[in-house]
Amino acid sequence: MEVLKEKVEEEEAAEREEAAERAERGEKTLRPVEVRREEAPLTQEALRDLEKKLSEILVPGKISISTKDTIDILKLPVSYQTNTPKEEHLLQVADNFSRQYSDLCPDRVPLFLHPVNECGLPKFVSTTLRPTLMPYPELYNWESCAQFVSDFLSMVPLPDPLKPIVQQQEKAPAKKYAIKPPRDLSSKFEQEQEMKRQEQIKAEEERRLREEEERLLEAEKAKIDPLHGLRVHCWVLVLSGKREVPETFFIDPFTARSYSPQDDHFLGIESLWNHKNYWVNMQDCWNCCKDLVFDLGDPVRWEYLLLGTDKPHLSTTEEEDTGMNDDEDLDNLCKDDKDKSFDMPSSWVEQIDISPEAFETRCPNGKKVIQYKRAKLEKWAPYLNSNGLVCRLTTYEDAECTKTLEIKEWYQNREDMLERKQINKVTGLNIDYFKPGHPQALRVHSYKTMQPGMDRVMEFYETARVDGLIKREETPKTMTEYYQGRSDFLSYRHINFGPRVKKLVLNSAESNPRPVVKITERFSRNPAKPADEDVAERVFLILDERIQLRYHCREDHITASKREFLRRTEVDSKGNKIIMTADMCVSFEVEPMEHTKKLLYQYEAMMQLKNEEKLSRHQAWESELEVLEILKLREEEEEAHTLTISIYDTKRNEKSKEYREAMERVMHEEHLRQVEAQLDYLAPFLAQLPPGEKLTRWQAVRLKDECLSDFKQRLIDKANLIQARFEKETQELQKKQQWYQENQVTLTTEDEDFYLSYCSQAMFRIRILEQRLNRHKELAPLKYLALEEKLYKDPRLVELLKVFA
Amino acid sequence: MNRLCNSMEPRVMDDDMLKLAVGEQGPREEAGQLAKQEGILFKDVLSLQLDFQNILRIDNLWQFENLRKLQLDNNLIERIEGLENLTHLVWLDLSFNNIEAIEGLDALVNLEDLSLFNNRITKIDSLDSLVKLQVLSLGNNQIGNMMNIIYLRRFKALRTLSLSGNPIAEAEDYKMFICAYLPDLVYLDFRRIDDHMKELAEMKHQYSIDELKHRENLIQARLEDEQARREELEEHKAAFVEHLNGSFLFDSMYAEDVEGSKLTCLPGVSELLEAYKDKFVIICLNIFEYGLKQQEKRKVELDTFNECIHEAIQENQEQGKHKIAKFEEKHLLSLSAIRDESELTKLEKKIVEYSGDITELFNVLMTLEMQLVEQLEETINMFERNIVDLVGLFIENVQSLMAQCRDLENHHHEKLLEISINTLEKIAKGEFDEDLPDDVRSLFVDKDTIVNAVGASHDIHLLKIDNREDELVTRINSWCTHLVDKIHKDEITRNHKRVKEINQYIDHMQNELDNLECSDLID
Repeated sequence: MEVLKEKVEEEEAAEREEAAERAERGEKTLRPVEVRREEAPLTQEALRDLEKKLSEILVPGKISISTKDTIDILKLPVSYQTNTPKEEHLLQVADNFSRQYSDLCPDRVPLFLHPVNECGLPKFVSTTLRPTLMPYPELYNWESCAQFVSDFLSMVPLPDPLKPIVQQQEKAPAKKYAIKPPRDLSSKFEQEQEMKRQEQIKAEEERRLREEEERLLEAEKAKIDPLHGLRVHCWVLVLSGKREVPETFFIDPFTARSYSPQDDHFLGIESLWNHKNYWVNMQDCWNCCKDLVFDLGDPVRWEYLLLGTDKPHLSTTEEEDTGMNDDEDLDNLCKDDKDKSFDMPSSWVEQIDISPEAFETRCPNGKKVIQYKRAKLEKWAPYLNSNGLVCRLTTYEDAECTKTLEIKEWYQNREDMLERKQINKVTGLNIDYFKPGHPQALRVHSYKTMQPGMDRVMEFYETARVDGLIKREETPKTMTEYYQGRSDFLSYRHINFGPRVKKLVLNSAESNPRPVVKITERFSRNPAKPADEDVAERVFLILDERIQLRYHCREDHITASKREFLRRTEVDSKGNKIIMTADMCVSFEVEPMEHTKKLLYQYEAMMQLKNEEKLSRHQAWESELEVLEILKLREEEEEAHTLTISIYDTKRNEKSKEYREAMERVMHEEHLRQVEAQLDYLAPFLAQLPPGEKLTRWQAVRLKDECLSDFKQRLIDKANLIQARFEKETQELQKKQQWYQENQVTLTTEDEDFYLSYCSQAMFRIRILEQRLNRHKELAPLKYLALEEKLYKDPRLVELLKVFA
Repeated sequence: MNRLCNSMEPRVMDDDMLKLAVGEQGPREEAGQLAKQEGILFKDVLSLQLDFQNILRIDNLWQFENLRKLQLDNNLIERIEGLENLTHLVWLDLSFNNIEAIEGLDALVNLEDLSLFNNRITKIDSLDSLVKLQVLSLGNNQIGNMMNIIYLRRFKALRTLSLSGNPIAEAEDYKMFICAYLPDLVYLDFRRIDDHMKELAEMKHQYSIDELKHRENLIQARLEDEQARREELEEHKAAFVEHLNGSFLFDSMYAEDVEGSKLTCLPGVSELLEAYKDKFVIICLNIFEYGLKQQEKRKVELDTFNECIHEAIQENQEQGKHKIAKFEEKHLLSLSAIRDESELTKLEKKIVEYSGDITELFNVLMTLEMQLVEQLEETINMFERNIVDLVGLFIENVQSLMAQCRDLENHHHEKLLEISINTLEKIAKGEFDEDLPDDVRSLFVDKDTIVNAVGASHDIHLLKIDNREDELVTRINSWCTHLVDKIHKDEITRNHKRVKEINQYIDHMQNELDNLECSDLID
């Protein structure tokens, strides 16, 4: 079930894609809508197949070729340019059907049966659908498939939003996929039966008159739409029942959204088709599509074009849609002259081929802009933008899209793990979102300016940080940090800064930190300590030299112990330093304890707190530093905006590409070597014999002898060759020597040097040649014997030469 | 070494010595001045060092109840004693003394590090309570038996051991043996045991260790078994139906019944008895099952009650905390405002205001508490009613089951009497041809004797049944009363504590204000 369904959906996708392709090409060539795309060239086999088929069929009469775009069209496969007899027959049937239909229902809009294709040839709609299997898993369920198709398609408005195509006038363009009403993207509808042609014309006039006004009106309120219910639109209907589809629903190919048949935007259905059949809706659409019964086997509700095509198992369809349920009651009622045994000819369309690049690029040229009301959506293919931008949504305050409200940008493959940026143009607030993996474990960064010490919130992936920091909020005067999962149970630290002290010597911004006025730290409960000794909050009032402690509350209590230390270095009457007095520590204890009354205890506690105060101040300073560091890093990252490339992405990853190429080269060389090694020494001799015959013994012996003598000859030739070269070199050297001796007196040092180097080189060459010759002389007999041996063992000769062996 | 000190007089561990030591080892510098000024209580001392003092006897340490570390090395101590109060001790050094036996350490359950280096110990024992022991130093002693090592197997945390300088360390197999028998040991005689050594040792002693392990496991299993049985019995006791899951009661009826057992040899009686026992046991089992079920019910009831009470208290506490937190927020502001206020009239006004705030807080907190008390009282009463009902129902049903037991007994008694009289008649007529033991035959002298005998047996049985019933009823009733009492008492204690807490807090706040006032007035 599942698989089947996917297949069908996938087919749809393929189909739509094709449409998209067409549309895209049309756009590219900058032709009016009628321009047909150029199809990808057929493969050899496909062509041969077609040829065969066609020759068998015996093409009758004329082949209608559109004269407009000959170059394009000629490249198209034959099936695009001609109609098979079967197709012709089908068109006749369709014409007949259409005639009867207009007789019976004169009120209704003519049926959309056989638009002309890119070659100007009428083709029955169902045959434009060709289920195709694609290798991309994304295309295997309808959501992502529909999304892909909607990205892949670009919308080209019809010249006339009311008339899709008219098949009677053969010149008319048949641009079925690009059917799209002008502005309103919410959804477009098929024609309504109750509308008459005259009404349409009227409406059209009205539209023209009001065009300018309407634009403004529509901006205000989308309600007023003079074309309401007049527009033509194709969409996909997925029928319930099969493949776990619980309910029938529509898919709008342009937005990839699904709609229930209950949706108010779908005003009615004129006809449905799939690649097997064509149905006309005979139900009244007064209540939009809400009351429609999608039982295609019911001939009263759905008038079919072809009787008894294959089992109607498919419940999904293209364009309008198809799907039939049970064929039980198919046989009652039909048009009188319908060809009973006729079934749908196979599709004339080429199989869709989407290259992985095209699939990844998704949109035409990898870029797509969708204009919504007060918003604009831009999409890019990954890696198209050097900063990794893949999507941008801009919202505007006004319908003219001049005042930007907010910009949201999505990024992919960023090395700094930036995932999304949100820029609020009104408040000036920027929010950056990061995926896990940023070097500073950043998760969210919201700021108005990159200037340090201003309002800013940074959130972190706390598990990736040693200190467990979750969030750091900053204002010009405070810094608040939230922690989680620390071994010292610190959960919160709030730092109040005083005004920055101006220093005379300005080394750098870092060396002049803001003075810390107050530090508040909160701790979560440490279960290992009794509540009375477990500090819940401590406040360092640095200027006052005051430290306040609040302890955790005991299980069964409502009050918590408190302690306040006031450290003042004072001197008593005798001039001795007062170390500790009772009034330097004020405490409230829930359960008064004895040991805490001791000055010694208090003194020690205070000393410890003093130490910790230092640590906390240091921590505050480090936090400030870290913020600076992160800001610096962020700026660098923004500057560089490097993108990561997966090691599996062999096209983009330079390293892996090089590696792969090197591997391929090695493989190639290896292959060459192997081929060489397999050279057949018998081949030239065998070739002289008549092919396909068995060797006789005589022939075998001759073969062997010939082969051997040939080899012997070659060995001799080689020896001669080496000998000749050797002699030549020697002669030359002698000549040179002679020349040298004759001219020795007149030679410049340069010439002499040249001569000497020549001599040493020549000597070297001669020596090598000599060695080679000697070696050849040594090896030649061995090689000869080896070949002889090999020949005796050659599987082709072994039987015949046995006797001699 | 300690021998050198022999020339010196042995000393007594008296207060002066301890004070001196505490003073010397106490805090330094500023803290030291404070300490001197205040004096240090022995019970606040965490660490004490008393080495090279020629101490003969450990004494006077009872005040050091929080001591963590005690060093008594290089003295003349002969016995380990006087350490009973030092339950927090983690570190104890008794090296270089004259100790002959390990003793007196039973109270030191937290001890992790024990050094008895260079003493005269011959045997490792009496360390059972030192479950946290990690480091044990027993070098330079007289330990001669390798089997002492096996004793150390019970210390699961033991990682470091030193035994060098003992006679056993001379043994060729010494290291291997220890590594094999103490596989979790990491350091032996101050050296790390390498894995290779461990493997070798394990292989060498595998058989004996396996056997040892097997025995240990058996013992462990037996202990666990016993534990499980004990727990089960406890559970049954908690349900007040212990020993009713079998023939225990029935057997006890006959345990003291001489006549009854004599009469079993009469023809037909044993069958009768068999049937009686079966039926009786079934009823007992019924009581047992019912008891467990009821116990479960009571438990659920109690748990639900506790949970609800806890929730209510928690919620109330949260409210209280919230009020206090809000107050404190304001309190800080008020205090600083009062401090900063210079004008006297305004100051007074502020103080009055603040004082009013404190009273307000007190009222709020007390109201909360009173509310809670009322709510809890109601709930507790409801629970009391329910639990009493449950107990009543249980008693009622048990009593009716017990009545069945009595019926059975009565029935049995009648039958027995009938058989006995028949037998008597037969004997009188001389028709009784079976052999009876003499003591049984002696019962059949006349009708009175036999009827009395049977009656006595019957009485004993009934008594036993009555006793069991009474026991059950008394115990469950007392349990119930105790439970209810405790709940009431707990609630009262809780209330007292809370009121005290609130008062204390308010007093503190008021005091703070008063102090401020004073200082301000002085200013």
